[in-house]
Amino acid sequence: MAVHRGRGIAAIEYPTGMNQGGDPSQAWIKIKPDGHVDVFSGTVDLGQGSKTVHTQIAADMIGVPHEWVTMNNADTDSSPVSFGTFASRGTFIDGNAIAVAAYRARQRLLELASRMLEVDPEDLEIAEGEVSVRGAPARKVGVAEVAATASWTYGEMIVGSGAWMFPHVEPDKVTGECEPNAAISYAACVAEVEVDDETGEVVVTRLIQVYDVGRAINPVLVDGQIQGGAIMGLGLALLEESYPYYPDIAHRGPEFGAYAAPAMADLPELKNVVLEDPDPVGPFGAKAIGEMANNGQSPALIAAIHDAVGVWVTELPAKPERVLRAIDERREPRREGRRVVFDEHLSVATVSPPERRPEGGWSFPLVDVQL
Amino acid sequence: MKFVVNGRQHTSVASPLTTLLHVLREELGLVGAKAGCQHGSCGSCTVLIDGEPRRSCLTVVATLDGAEITTVEALGDPSHLSDVQVAFNEHYAAQCGFCTPGMLLAATALISRKGRPVEREEVVEALGGHYCRCTGYVRILDAVVAASRGERLGTMAPTALEIRGVEP
Amino acid sequence: MKAVGASLPRYDGVAHVTAASRFVDDFSLPGMLWAKALRSPVASARILRLDTARSATMPGVHAVITHSDVPNNVVGHQEVWGIAPDEPLLAEHEVRYVGQLIAVVAAETEAQALAAVQAIEVEFEERPAFFDMRKAWDSDQPHVTPDGNVYFYYPDQPQRQIRKGDVAAAFAEADVIVEGVYRPGAVEQAPAEPASALSVAEPNGRVTIHSTSQALYYSMDITARHLRMPIGQLKFVGGTVGGGFGGKIDTLTEPVTAVLALKARRPVKWRWTREEEMLCSSTRAAWHVEIADAVTRDGWILGRRTLTLHDAGAYMRTSAYACSKHTFHLAGAYSIPACAFNTFVVMTNHVPTAAMRGFGVTSASFAVETHMTRVAEVLGMDPWELRLKNANRVGDTSPSRVVYGNPSTVTTLLVAAEAAGVKLPPKQRAMTNAMREGALLPAHLVEQQRKPETHLLAWRDGRPALEGGS
Repeated sequence: MAVHRGRGIAAIEYPTGMNQGGDPSQAWIKIKPDGHVDVFSGTVDLGQGSKTVHTQIAADMIGVPHEWVTMNNADTDSSPVSFGTFASRGTFIDGNAIAVAAYRARQRLLELASRMLEVDPEDLEIAEGEVSVRGAPARKVGVAEVAATASWTYGEMIVGSGAWMFPHVEPDKVTGECEPNAAISYAACVAEVEVDDETGEVVVTRLIQVYDVGRAINPVLVDGQIQGGAIMGLGLALLEESYPYYPDIAHRGPEFGAYAAPAMADLPELKNVVLEDPDPVGPFGAKAIGEMANNGQSPALIAAIHDAVGVWVTELPAKPERVLRAIDERREPRREGRRVVFDEHLSVATVSPPERRPEGGWSFPLVDVQL
Repeated sequence: MKFVVNGRQHTSVASPLTTLLHVLREELGLVGAKAGCQHGSCGSCTVLIDGEPRRSCLTVVATLDGAEITTVEALGDPSHLSDVQVAFNEHYAAQCGFCTPGMLLAATALISRKGRPVEREEVVEALGGHYCRCTGYVRILDAVVAASRGERLGTMAPTALEIRGVEP
Repeated sequence: MKAVGASLPRYDGVAHVTAASRFVDDFSLPGMLWAKALRSPVASARILRLDTARSATMPGVHAVITHSDVPNNVVGHQEVWGIAPDEPLLAEHEVRYVGQLIAVVAAETEAQALAAVQAIEVEFEERPAFFDMRKAWDSDQPHVTPDGNVYFYYPDQPQRQIRKGDVAAAFAEADVIVEGVYRPGAVEQAPAEPASALSVAEPNGRVTIHSTSQALYYSMDITARHLRMPIGQLKFVGGTVGGGFGGKIDTLTEPVTAVLALKARRPVKWRWTREEEMLCSSTRAAWHVEIADAVTRDGWILGRRTLTLHDAGAYMRTSAYACSKHTFHLAGAYSIPACAFNTFVVMTNHVPTAAMRGFGVTSASFAVETHMTRVAEVLGMDPWELRLKNANRVGDTSPSRVVYGNPSTVTTLLVAAEAAGVKLPPKQRAMTNAMREGALLPAHLVEQQRKPETHLLAWRDGRPALEGGS
């Protein structure tokens, strides 16, 4: 008959790009006669903000104001390949493709500017839409003027194209040895809850989340991912289920009222911290945030529930019925010698004892899998 | 059925049980109201009917004779954004933007009804039935509270996100 | 550098707040038809009879399609990685899940299309279905696929596995063995915008497809396979989507509307209802993860064994990919020198499962991180201390033998503790991710330690990493 407080923690890691690589992205960039920059990318913006982040990368890589950059990603006739907006690859892999394309456009700009200023391209720098001589900033020419001169005087076009890929790898069949990703992001989550031992309800009072994303290209968009991911992770841990009697196929229902995705009222206090430990290979050191943002909450919340009321709920969601049942049952692990065995009633060995599997299987404890 | 949409008279010859959502999107080309669930549980079809937020997917034209309907298209355009639109933009309250029109209208109605700055809890009460999957709602709440205070920053709202560099 | 690192306004911010952002459903074309589908009401059945003749003549109907209208009906979502195609776009001989597509109608209004769907005649012979992946090898369970219920990564090895170090020795040496079972359930991606596609058969023989796909080229490839067209004959239009979270990678609306548009010679839009999204579209998979950790009394994890079952549902979609990815992350953020991980893709008569935010790793993180807290509890050890001492450091190697160059687990934990107001002892607060030595390098971690490569910061001085992977 009480509300109990608890705290749980989790430390997680998440790869950037598709597992085992082989997922390229491409970009191409043209600079209009007025110096404005058109980026062509195949990246689909689902709301995470790739149109924003990619134009920021292009702007800084070339050296023009962000407002000069357009994003064109709407069709496959003009946009080159992006493998897809998934696997947390948009900022890193697609961003790298854009950075390479922008770098090459920039090199072209510098070559043309060097003709106009009669200086070696190596001695030039570009910032805020102006090309100037390093160490002699008064000697300069606007990017707009260079672009116009290229088009109308030299009869040339300023473009850059680029692609980026982490090459595909196959793991060793037996050992699994391989390097599956170009980079890994890291995070830690602390969850604070209040658990009502009479209703089984879990209220999340606070989530503290720390993410090392390498570099936050646009901090508020990173924060947006952290916020959205926190609520989605909360839903996964406590509220959402497609099949309430899984493995039975009966569904919670087709309506949002039946399927309890988090609503405004479920929002806990969020305290978010981003660490920037630049990655050697990501664009401007950036790694990824998009998916990892909803991974830390469930283990932290389950640990917090245990801290609060002393029970382990390892089937998700930890809905009130499950919490209450766990409190009622107060299951203890089986102790046998050195072994401490939790959740035996859920295991394969219990549901499908060896005699039902004449062709083989495995046993719990986990000795080498026999097949 | 005759009703006013964004200040203009419209006569619909759609059958009486046609939803307002359908009429707005297919007859009038006003696609701001979205078909998110079509059974009233997400709020992305929200419009104002006589100033009140209503789910257009559950409203049939037979009930609209003489009604005054406001859709998101009437709130403002890029050169004349409403307070709520400015606040949503300055506070990054839209990620994918699909739930945004419904949120904007519900927020507009709330602020108009209260006639004073609102508290976060009041926003949760009034807009809590609106579904967003992207933002986690935080910045939507920030935006509505800010709009109710008539805040137009003229710049993007600063983020409270703490960023630290890591020593190599 | 002015733009990178700045919280600049969203590129599409003003468009979003003025509802100028255009989603697929916001596009209409003259003569556009609406699609509605007949879907299986049963989880497993043979199709005895399918007759669309009556529906094709109903008011407003311009086309009805079944499997015979699809040039290449059976395609797989992982064909690019050599995984055999297994899924019919429209059911032919059988249905394997409730909600599976059987036929689709294109008509002038949604109501007319729905009425025509009702008029399609289909006869099923229901048969027992398989739902509990824990019974994957039971001899009395029905088979979902002709090859049984367990996918084989290799002809003689069904599982994706990791074998590193001497697991038997680790378990023999351990002071305590902690075992647990973790079952995160299936959930919906549930983006605010339902999946939609609008296909147009162009006069020049090309097909334009407006799509909510998260991956235009990927979906274009799958659509091209179904249509037996080169991808150059297709044009996918999209790029602005109302949320995806992994649920808009599966490619069904695009090939279906393309086939309908080609047959009807009119543009065809298919906008999934929320009912279809909830009940019939792919979910995040349910997973079953069993972990056994060999640990010492003072909190070192000597070795780990895992068994994972993944409920792929009725068709493969991208499950083999997910299970490989899952396996690589079963040591979590920690140095575990002896690993035996086994991950199985299990086919069931559930709705096919597919990607959702974190695909494969979400379940691994839930299982291994909850298990860490349990291990701490069993040992009577502080959960921060257990994590900090086992956390990956420079020079540690992953289960697949990747050498960690700069892992941030120690730092993120310490910052999280501080932010949460948790006062850790000075020795822990002084920890860094520097290569293990002294007390942090016990005998069992020596062999796995490697000298990490030094990386140039490729992006410094405005030079991007010009070669992938370097």
